[in-house]
Amino acid sequence: MLVLQILINGLLLGGMYILLAQGLNLVFGVMGVVNLAHGAIITVAGLFTFWFATHTQLNPLVLLPVVFVAMLAIGALLQRSLLEPLAGVGRKSELLSLMITFGLSYVLVEIGLDVFGSQYVSLPNLQTTWSLGGLTINEALVAAGVLGAAISGALQIWLRHTDSGKCLLATSQNRIGAVACGIDVSRMRCIAFAIGSSLAAAAGVLIIMVIPLAAQTADSLTILAFVVVALGGLGDYRGAALAAVVLGIAQSAVGYYGGGDAESVVPYLLFILFMILRPQGLGRAVQAQ
Amino acid sequence: MSFERDTLGRQLRNRLTPAAAAFPSRGRQAYRAVAGLTMLAVLAVAPLLSSGYVLQLATDILTFVALAYSWNLISGFTGYVSFGQVTFFGMGAYATAVMVLHTPIPWYLAIPIAVLLAAMAALLLGAVMLRLRGIMFALGMLGLARILAVVAANWSFAGGAVGLTLPAQLTPNAVYAGAWAAALIAFGLNAFYMRSGLGLSAMGVRDDEGAAQALGVATGRVKILTFVLSALAPAAVGGLVAWNRSFIDPTSAFDPNMDLQLVVFTLFGGIGTLWGPLLGTLVLMLVGEQLWAYVPELQLALYGGLVIVVVLAFPGGMVGLANRFGWLLRRPIFAPRSFPAAIVPPPAPPSRPPDDTILEVRDLSVHFRGIVALDTLSFDVRRGESVSILGANGAGKTTLFNAVTGFVVPSEGSILYQDRPVAGLAPFQRARQGIARTFQIPRLMESMTVWENVLLAAQHGRLSRRALEQTAWALHITGLAPMWLESIARLTPGQQRRLELARSLALGPTLVLLDEVMAGMTRDEQEEIRGVLRRLPEFGVAAVAGIEHVISAIADISDRMIVLDHGKKIAEGAPAAVLRDPVVIQSYLGEVR
Repeated sequence: MLVLQILINGLLLGGMYILLAQGLNLVFGVMGVVNLAHGAIITVAGLFTFWFATHTQLNPLVLLPVVFVAMLAIGALLQRSLLEPLAGVGRKSELLSLMITFGLSYVLVEIGLDVFGSQYVSLPNLQTTWSLGGLTINEALVAAGVLGAAISGALQIWLRHTDSGKCLLATSQNRIGAVACGIDVSRMRCIAFAIGSSLAAAAGVLIIMVIPLAAQTADSLTILAFVVVALGGLGDYRGAALAAVVLGIAQSAVGYYGGGDAESVVPYLLFILFMILRPQGLGRAVQAQ
Repeated sequence: MSFERDTLGRQLRNRLTPAAAAFPSRGRQAYRAVAGLTMLAVLAVAPLLSSGYVLQLATDILTFVALAYSWNLISGFTGYVSFGQVTFFGMGAYATAVMVLHTPIPWYLAIPIAVLLAAMAALLLGAVMLRLRGIMFALGMLGLARILAVVAANWSFAGGAVGLTLPAQLTPNAVYAGAWAAALIAFGLNAFYMRSGLGLSAMGVRDDEGAAQALGVATGRVKILTFVLSALAPAAVGGLVAWNRSFIDPTSAFDPNMDLQLVVFTLFGGIGTLWGPLLGTLVLMLVGEQLWAYVPELQLALYGGLVIVVVLAFPGGMVGLANRFGWLLRRPIFAPRSFPAAIVPPPAPPSRPPDDTILEVRDLSVHFRGIVALDTLSFDVRRGESVSILGANGAGKTTLFNAVTGFVVPSEGSILYQDRPVAGLAPFQRARQGIARTFQIPRLMESMTVWENVLLAAQHGRLSRRALEQTAWALHITGLAPMWLESIARLTPGQQRRLELARSLALGPTLVLLDEVMAGMTRDEQEEIRGVLRRLPEFGVAAVAGIEHVISAIADISDRMIVLDHGKKIAEGAPAAVLRDPVVIQSYLGEVR
């Protein structure tokens, strides 16, 4: 029964992690950049959700589509103004883009700190727990896990079964090949960053229901997302989904036996292991270039 | 060490250019040195005599100058951008604090010991972290700093999340003096990199790590050494600050905001430059000090925004802007005042039998996941011989060169260079033993002058008079002497190929592998390369040229020709005979009807 409990919690946590990492993966695949502002977008979206829900008493989930669409526009704007100018500068473009997202993350985090303060907050909504034959299941975790997995699944269907999605996928697999097929790669970069940002924002809306957030947690969320992506193989969406579930289960198991501190160390430990064992790592992504 | 090299350079300058020998007057240099030192002394003493506020500000500025210069070393020179230099600051802080609390070691020993410990940690970490490239290294360092903060927060010996309280012992004056020392050391290291072979190698790693390996640069060692050096000042400063505040905790010791400050100060001043970190720190901290009084909560957001603005609008920073007016330009490393008039050719090759085999390729096969790039290829090259390898695109020429130079591991077969197997030797070791190469698409060091590109190869990891002579000779023989101080961007494609050739000759090779050395050249340019290739035997250099198109230009200067088709050797012999071979004509030039 205990094992089942841990598995269910881990699975639901994993569902949320899939969404958390999906945007980072998409941006990396298409633009070759690890978006260091990813965690900041998640955090700011989460804190905004908290603010909105506590002031309006509405269900935070109604914000999900609104935040998603708003972030699409903001993401597109950010990509066009900050990152696209660097796309043409050759070998150094990736490092320079990384610096831009580094700066951007601070801008977002500090704005978040000024507007929302530095205290950890978590939404009190959806805190019903269901008892099911000895298992206790948290409503918010179910909502976050299921919605997270569903949004990620929808993205996968779009990427693999529609023309516009396939163009994006093609660009992430082989940029030059995509150009040769007449795909407007610059537009794809914009779309990728816009969708990547809105996925991050959606993840923020869900996470705030489960995990307490504060502006300063932004970095650890970026690292968490990166760990998921790196474990699954950069640019490999199925691998990332599997990694997210594994991480979720590992974390919920460690959390049960070792407490909260140990739980929060799990992603970092995996991060170190990844760096040591697979420094050239990124298996498929590297070969695809 | 640096003194010796400097003297050597000066001697050489004088020896090579007697007319200019009197130019840099020693009197003027001494005057400038005295003036500079006086200014430094005034700057150093003034804060001590004024208010505590000024002393604190001066200490803060010096602290960040030291940190920014250290960050510049690893991120600016080797191009490995680190978002976690605070790691070493925190290590220094904790090591010092623990020593102070648990041992009777006095502070002036505790801090150097902390620096030593941080350097050892950097050595171990560097071996792992520097295997990561580009953005992965940046991200790895970011994660490392966070991990150490978590470790410190959960380690009760180090005070856990609460932190450690130190007995307040260190006076502001002592901290100030220590910060001066750290800043001077960090600046000194940058200055050394700006004018030494090590700095040249680091810049080679930044511009093109693979090409640097091929030119004999021990890239791994250069990176790790730079990483270790970049840890010294942060560790010292960490110890000083911990003691000055007489309190440390994980959040302040591994403060991620500190990395933002290093990045923004250095970028604003000019990354990879000698004066950038100093200018950026001075300007932003002095201006910032006024500004933050009004909007204290926006400081980090504005810094973040400034990173974006600098990267997008003026990536060279303040020094980059100054360069446009001809100020603060980087001086080419070990360039004499004018191009050496006396050209010293390389020492004559050892007189050995003319049929002395230097390269033996035996049954060499290279597979890439099922694709056979080279298939049981065997051939020899003798000293001073000129061999051309003919083959269409994809025939395996570049793979062969990559296998011989160590960039590709053979699947089967062996390669013997001067009767010794080369398996297991890194590319830079093979280069230093005399296997030189050029690349199909020239891979020149973009941020360097023509002179430095060649010197990088000539130095063999250590600058010597011989390296300077070899550089001058290689530029002379390839006809590049007139543009020796040009930047790479101003060379024509033909000149770029000649520079690749000059670089490979500067290694002092016995064997040069030329990948498509004449592709895309005009007749005149081809003639210039042919002139150089014809002279190679007199220096004991064997040339193996991979050729796809310009067969006529290479046939008459080749002793022997080998034809590859889909990784297999289909013909070998004298060029005239090979080119008439029906098998060659059929596979390479087309069906005979």
